[in-house]
Amino acid sequence: MNKVLITGSEAAALGAKLAKIEVLSYYPITPAFPAMERLSKYIDDGELNCKFIRAESDHSALAAVLGGSLAGARSYTVTNSQGLLLMTEVVYHVAGLRQPIVMGVANRALSAPHSRFPEHGDVVSQSASGWIQLFCENNQDILDNTIQAFRIAEELRVPVMVNYEGYLQSHTLEEVFVPEQSKVDAFLPLKRQPALDINNPRGVNTVTSPDFYPYYKFNQNEAMLESLNLIPKVAAEYNQEFGANSCGLIECYQMEDAEHAIVAMGSIVGTARILVDNLRKEGRKIGLIKVKVWRPFPVKAILEALQNVSFVTVLDKNIVFGVGGALATDLKAAAYGRGEMVINGAILGLGGGKCGVEEINAAVMETESAGSDKNKSVWIGL
Amino acid sequence: MTINVNSLPQVELFGQGNVGCKGCGAAIAGRQAMKVLGERTIITIPASCMATLGGSNTRSAWRVPFYHTLFECAPAVSSGIRAALEIQGIKDVNVVSWGGDAGSADIGFQSLTGAAERQENIIHVLYDNEMYMNTGGQTGSQTPIYAITSNGSLGKKVRKKNMLAIMEAHGIDYVASANIAYPEDLMAKFQKAAAKKGFSYIHILAPCHRGWGIKPEETIEVARKATECGLWELFEVDEGKRTRTYEPKLIPVADYFKAQGRFKNLTDEQIAEFQKFVDDYYGKGE
Ligand SMILES: Cc1ncc(C[n+]2csc(CCOP(=O)(O)OP(=O)(O)O)c2C)c(N)n1
Repeated sequence: MNKVLITGSEAAALGAKLAKIEVLSYYPITPAFPAMERLSKYIDDGELNCKFIRAESDHSALAAVLGGSLAGARSYTVTNSQGLLLMTEVVYHVAGLRQPIVMGVANRALSAPHSRFPEHGDVVSQSASGWIQLFCENNQDILDNTIQAFRIAEELRVPVMVNYEGYLQSHTLEEVFVPEQSKVDAFLPLKRQPALDINNPRGVNTVTSPDFYPYYKFNQNEAMLESLNLIPKVAAEYNQEFGANSCGLIECYQMEDAEHAIVAMGSIVGTARILVDNLRKEGRKIGLIKVKVWRPFPVKAILEALQNVSFVTVLDKNIVFGVGGALATDLKAAAYGRGEMVINGAILGLGGGKCGVEEINAAVMETESAGSDKNKSVWIGL
Repeated sequence: MTINVNSLPQVELFGQGNVGCKGCGAAIAGRQAMKVLGERTIITIPASCMATLGGSNTRSAWRVPFYHTLFECAPAVSSGIRAALEIQGIKDVNVVSWGGDAGSADIGFQSLTGAAERQENIIHVLYDNEMYMNTGGQTGSQTPIYAITSNGSLGKKVRKKNMLAIMEAHGIDYVASANIAYPEDLMAKFQKAAAKKGFSYIHILAPCHRGWGIKPEETIEVARKATECGLWELFEVDEGKRTRTYEPKLIPVADYFKAQGRFKNLTDEQIAEFQKFVDDYYGKGE
């Protein structure tokens, strides 16, 4: 394993390159474009044998990648924010067609008002789309999750989004351990399953009657749920093969005797670790749960981790208007009927707003003082 | 290149079991095209009548791989399919996107112009019934001026957008108009398009009797009149060289309009307007 200093964009591109993607399409958008440019450079330099389709829109980019996948090629794209929204129709369609496409998303706030800064609002909009969604704490996660995403997607025929945040991750250098190509090849054997096969003609996406449609949806949901079993196995195998330290569904930090838990996903997790260390020094029994897999929502794993916890602070870098943070809402639904545990949500870091140790500390304090009003979200940093 | 109808393959690669209306112009176009495209063809069809009538549940009316795409993006999907075939070394396959007038000229125009500009090795077909039939026959950019539609009881106020000129302006390998009433001409054009390495665009006039207010058995007859009166010229632009592929008899345009319910309110002045257009056009002698 070789150690390099790279940005999150480069980690995403490197992951896709190591996975030997065969069809690539994208439409430029900030802050995903450095990953795009890096992939195109790999192709231009002959380091990656992949067909690139220079799409004229984000919608067409995912449609082209879908065409590639339907015809049997390992296919990848990357986007964020407005690009992801424009793609949305295709996003749902890809999932319904059970195509194992992997997409990097350099999370960015949605317009209006215009912002190009990090936030999870873009992918939260895709929560019901039928894509598995993985979140990355750091650049190592971006590389590791991208490689694992292909394995998960192809085994279950469920598409996977790998979320990393704009600028905070896409443009920030970190040390990353890079697995060897030959080992990645062994980890990701290519089994082609073209739906559009010239030697075996089939009709794809024919008009479907109510007698059939619910079965497709049931199976799609079963496959999503099955990923909760598969993802930890893939992570364990990956760690074994590459000496990596990739978590399964969630990772618990200082949770053994914790009474208060912070639950978070994405780049904020790394900062929350520092706060937990600080508060531990003060004698507080606080811990942290990093949510790597947000879709499907790993209910069992999280509730197990929260078994002895009485208070939860959920950090959400998104807002579902009139409801609250998406992660907090999911967690409350998951914990329905679970006794006295209080789950309070904090909204922070919207549109690139600060979420350093201080802000997370404020989130902990203010959610505590919000008491047991379970439907309230506190907004940090206003 | 000429086509001998007698030597065409017997096998029907599209059509059997399709659930189109009887006398459906779109289905006729599909059947004719598949006679020359052959079994090594992958076809993508955006939301439209043609997508809907091609298969339901576990049945398909296509004996080639057929994919009913989203509305806006059939040429983009076809681009991806071509890329996947190339990376796998799969050769001698026609990749065809086959859209209605909305799926090609309106909501689908962005992906069409994109794929054409990239010179993708695909054929795009616009089968033109001049309305949005799958949703009940609304007005679109390919609806002719004055035509009555399901949401335009007063007739369209503006002219039909000239898609053939627009596609020609892309400088693609091959552009052709066609008409289901001239199958040899249509098939010869598909043969040429299939041999190209770049992008081809074939625009087929394919009446819909429901939308046009004609009888199902009149589909071909009315289509033929469109060309014979000079309003639907048959031509091709083969790597920049423009050729008229059929010389029309130039019957009065009124003969074409007369039969159609959608033009029932056409005034004599409006008919004269069309006639002058045709006279001027052909008067130039080209
Ligand atoms: C994004 C989206 N918008 C609208 C529709 C509804 N829709 C389906 S087919 C169609 C009209 C198709 O018209 P055309 O392309 O001319 O083909 P035709 O049905 O006339 O053969 C429309 C509006 C859709 N399927 N998807």
